[in-house]
Amino acid sequence: MHPVESAAMNEKDLLLFKQLKAQLGVPLIPGLMVLDVRTTQFVRVELVLLKALMEEGQPGLFISVDRPHQYIVHLLTMHGIDCRNLTFVDAVARFSADSKPTSVKVGFFQGPRNIDTLPEALKNWSAADGRPSFDLGECGFAVIDNLSTLLNYNSQQVVRSFLTDFISALGGKVTVPLLVDRERNPNLFMMIKSLEGREIALVPENVPMPSDRARLKISNSNIKGGY
Amino acid sequence: MEDSKLERTDLMRIPAGIPGLDEMIEGGFPFPSVILVCGSAGTGKTTFSLRFLCEGAARGEQGLYFTTLSEPTQWMMRFSSQFEFMRPEFFDNQIIYEDLGNILREGDSGKLLDAIESRIAEVVPQRIVIDPITVVGEMFKDNYRQFLFDLTNRLKNWNATTVVTGEVRPGELYPPEISYAVDGIVLLHLAEELGARRKYIEVLKMRGTNHLTGKHSIDISRKDGIVVLKARF
Repeated sequence: MHPVESAAMNEKDLLLFKQLKAQLGVPLIPGLMVLDVRTTQFVRVELVLLKALMEEGQPGLFISVDRPHQYIVHLLTMHGIDCRNLTFVDAVARFSADSKPTSVKVGFFQGPRNIDTLPEALKNWSAADGRPSFDLGECGFAVIDNLSTLLNYNSQQVVRSFLTDFISALGGKVTVPLLVDRERNPNLFMMIKSLEGREIALVPENVPMPSDRARLKISNSNIKGGY
Repeated sequence: MEDSKLERTDLMRIPAGIPGLDEMIEGGFPFPSVILVCGSAGTGKTTFSLRFLCEGAARGEQGLYFTTLSEPTQWMMRFSSQFEFMRPEFFDNQIIYEDLGNILREGDSGKLLDAIESRIAEVVPQRIVIDPITVVGEMFKDNYRQFLFDLTNRLKNWNATTVVTGEVRPGELYPPEISYAVDGIVLLHLAEELGARRKYIEVLKMRGTNHLTGKHSIDISRKDGIVVLKARF
């Protein structure tokens, strides 16, 4: 059994997994993507998204700006997902008093402020600096946890600049799905779409939770809706 | 909005589910956050916690209830089933009940912390309850503060709102060891007035929230659990 499949998923998550797999493509379709996700569901959806991305076996990049990377490592480990193909860039751990140990490939960035300098820093990373060597050219996908948090530290202009440079640094061959709560961050959602970000559409009939039904009604859409 | 300025977004909030309380705290508890609900025996701490979880379950959110009392699930269900907001089908589905009593008795705070985190990582809840946290203080006297610091610090990173309940000792307003580490403190008072015992709720602290201050009368009913009564004058 594939390591990703070994973790049991409930019916709702399995449905989400299948929908995401269909949208991400096999092999992964490169480019910027955006998925409307309610803030309270970020971690759950991110977990299912990572399962879907990692099933292809390609190396991936995980940029942590909302919580120290150890939490995602713990989450993935608990769900039986092997982290060996993931390289973590932790931009928030230095702000945290947390000292949970992990044994994954991780490089620490100075902080979420001035995130626009990260793409250039990534290009120059090397093992000599005590950071994990990481070949951007080999990268299959990149996940940012999460983009909305960057707006606490940076202007929209800086976040836009970061995204543009980040996609460029990845050479346009990498899948970059971003989770954004459209209701709370409509400007950010539209910004990603303006950067040719493809909206990942989920079928609303397959979203059974009462809160999501309410949400779909608010968004007044028959096709797309927040998860 | 100028593009070069920071885009300030209001804090994400989730309704506590206690009728009248959400209006006092700008619509609900910040998400994520750690909230202390404290009071003496019989003030409604567990009822508050259950209502908080059931509110989430009704909204499709996952709940995780840690008890430190080694109380069997059916025993807790026996009493809580008297409330109309309680739906038995929530339990073992959208509300997972977890007993920490056995691990607590081992006396290893690191092991307890790991057990809590592992269950959180497994269940991925949006709402968590630890009821009551003060029992832990009695078990880990020497390193209780360190444990609370580690616990609250980690809970804040799990993308959930956590309600921890605390028993108040005579002469105390709230359990002092944990008060500095939480984002909000809700007091449940029991006061003797004119020969009768009356119950009150008071929001003492709620970070990032313009909350109502002062004591507000509450009632505990079978329909809604705790209800904040509206002032008659």
